[in-house]
Amino acid sequence: MVTESPDRTSYDAELLDRAEALRSDAELMDEYARRLRATADTLVGCPAAPEWSRPTLERQAAACTTAAEQLRTAAEALRAHAGAGD
Amino acid sequence: MRADGTAPGRPAPDGREDRELLRRCAREVVDVAEGIRAVSARTSTALFTPALTASARRRPRTGLPAQWALLRALTNKHGLGGSAITAPKGMGHVLGTAGEVLGRESLAALVAVTSLRLRIAAVLVDHPEFVRDPGMRRLTEAVTADKDLAAVRSLRALFRDQGAQRALSGLAPLMAELLAIRALLDEDPYNDETGWALATGRELSADPLHGVSAARLAGLDQGEGAAEAVGLTDQERQVIATKGSFLGFLRNIETLSTNGRILLQNVRGPDGVVRYVLQAPGMAPGRPRTDSPQDFVGAWRNLFMPDSPYTRAILLALRDYGIPRGADLALIGHSEGGIAVMNLAQSEEFCRTYRVTHVVAVGSPVDNKKPADPRTWVASITNQHDIVPVLDGRGAGSAFDPHPNWYEVDYTGPTHEFPLCHMLHEYIEHLRTVVPEARERVDEALAPYRGPVVRTQAYQLKDRANPPEGYPFLTLPTTSLPTTAGPVDVPVRYYDSSAAHLCFAVDADTARGLLPGVTWMTPSRLGRRALAVLSLYEHRCTTIGPYTEIALSVLVDDLWRPRPYDVALDLLRRVDLRRTGRYVVSLAVTSEEARAVAREIWGQPAVRASAEARLTGRDLAVRSPELGLAVDGRLGPGARCPEADWILYGRRGESTIRTLVRAHGGLRLHSGGGIRLRLDTGAAEPLAGQLRRLGIATARPRLVLTCPQFMLHRSAGAVLPR
Repeated sequence: MVTESPDRTSYDAELLDRAEALRSDAELMDEYARRLRATADTLVGCPAAPEWSRPTLERQAAACTTAAEQLRTAAEALRAHAGAGD
Repeated sequence: MRADGTAPGRPAPDGREDRELLRRCAREVVDVAEGIRAVSARTSTALFTPALTASARRRPRTGLPAQWALLRALTNKHGLGGSAITAPKGMGHVLGTAGEVLGRESLAALVAVTSLRLRIAAVLVDHPEFVRDPGMRRLTEAVTADKDLAAVRSLRALFRDQGAQRALSGLAPLMAELLAIRALLDEDPYNDETGWALATGRELSADPLHGVSAARLAGLDQGEGAAEAVGLTDQERQVIATKGSFLGFLRNIETLSTNGRILLQNVRGPDGVVRYVLQAPGMAPGRPRTDSPQDFVGAWRNLFMPDSPYTRAILLALRDYGIPRGADLALIGHSEGGIAVMNLAQSEEFCRTYRVTHVVAVGSPVDNKKPADPRTWVASITNQHDIVPVLDGRGAGSAFDPHPNWYEVDYTGPTHEFPLCHMLHEYIEHLRTVVPEARERVDEALAPYRGPVVRTQAYQLKDRANPPEGYPFLTLPTTSLPTTAGPVDVPVRYYDSSAAHLCFAVDADTARGLLPGVTWMTPSRLGRRALAVLSLYEHRCTTIGPYTEIALSVLVDDLWRPRPYDVALDLLRRVDLRRTGRYVVSLAVTSEEARAVAREIWGQPAVRASAEARLTGRDLAVRSPELGLAVDGRLGPGARCPEADWILYGRRGESTIRTLVRAHGGLRLHSGGGIRLRLDTGAAEPLAGQLRRLGIATARPRLVLTCPQFMLHRSAGAVLPR
């Protein structure tokens, strides 16, 4: 007798949820990049701000943007996997 | 770039606005860091979810690319970073831990460190004097590195270096930030939670220095505690306050000193009710431990434990004193005493037994504690430069206030040097002159206790768990000898020192010319050359106080029967049987105590001069503008050597003084190629002229013996009839 795994459909549903969460996280990472850049811009006018602060924040903002792109790619791959079915 | 990390040409920081802006930015950045951390955690969960693992096994064509995309997002060093994988167990945990151990920081940790660096910059606005501090110099090098990884590497090196940590102790207002950075950047993944808590202002559950949990600490701290009623001396009885007042209680604590005693008093209040006051002294900073629970190590350990040997011993004392159940009790503590009394106040059982009306902690790290009885009035008085109150992780740069209902005074006192600024007499003086309003406010709150003292009893507390500092190497019988700088215990013990000995081959006749004008003292010869040694020391903790030492010595033969190759044979002998030694021809030290001891006890020609030494890493740097001397360079590869005990010779009057020096610590031998000695003075004496005569004023040493951290003791000089 062949038995169907009862989890199979729920697994795919969970993966779709995860893909959606990853997409939201990608948006969040874009938002974080924007906030870090805004902080860097704020510090431009502050005489006590260390010199390293602006390039460091810019670099970390760029890393946030890269992470956002990679999270989108991962979300897409996960969605494709969940949609592939058996 | 200026030493404080700000750009040249910009106006100097002028205070409040800049500081507030930096703190706001730090807050914003740490919020972002927390967000990134949460994203990393969710992405990790997605990667290791059983749904994906199981379905990828069935449908690898689409499953594996999905897993790969997630892994790439989590580990890309241009994205979320090396150790962004977070999972409590399983493969995710192994990968995350591996990333951290390999030194690849996650983006979240790097952004959090940026926030902490901004907080440090905010503190520097208020404390420009840190720029001159040697610890600050190294810290500045680390936090102002313009690349994340360079900053991470420098900070890691800094935190591994115990010598630097001691130098950094002067930077008390920054300590919370430094500890947080350390916890986030070190290879120990178990203390990351501590780093995040410090960075984001959450409540701590662990020791910020080591980042270990309170539960793990409990295993280290098993002292059972003991208390014994003891009498006060006549002198002490005369100065113990006879009327209750805030400064009176603090003076009582000062009178008790830090030798492990507490004081209990009955005070009849203005309403005729008898109330009880517990007065608990703190630790003895910079001094070796005794069998008392009141010490620096104890303070750090006990900080996050509601129960400690000190607290347990106090409970025993209270039981013995016989305070009636439900009686009003005020708890006053300084330093570790403040932590111990707060430990008591946060115990529900204790608060059920007694009515704890007041807790006053002076110079104590109590921010992480909260009394069990919400009616307890709490006051915390701290000097911003005192390192001890920030041990709980809340420093001056912090924007978090965990106890809005407490009466807290965090003032900037005129004393900046630790441990001086932690001493109770400094606090008492500041409460009289710098923040008298704080004294008045606490006295007002303590009004029910402001009456005549009707009973006083001291208790000796004991903690049988801790061996003394430096045990067993520095556990020695000592004798007190008088010097012009006061009595000195010999052997002089050095608990934490660094040294570099620069060895030069010099002309034997010239070396002979530097020795005393006696026929029987001759330089040891290695072929046709003699050996001169320029010894550089950084003594961070000694029984005569911290100091830096620069000594020029010449190896000399047996004073009675010189033989060829004495030196080589002597190296095979026990140090106390050696006959050769190093005659100290010139010595410069940075403290008056060290100068007096060297001259009067060891017979060495010591002068006092300012000097700065950095001998704990691969890069050596010693500068003494007064002597016109600089030594710097990078050590090459080294080989381990046996520990270097030795004999020093000096002269007093017509006698030779033989001093036995025993050392304990890893000694390494390096070639001298990377190290350069420079003289920038035309003066003949001291030191410079002798270096010039020996022809080593600008030379590179043949060999360098180094010891980045070791203990030593120097005996009283034995007078030889020579």
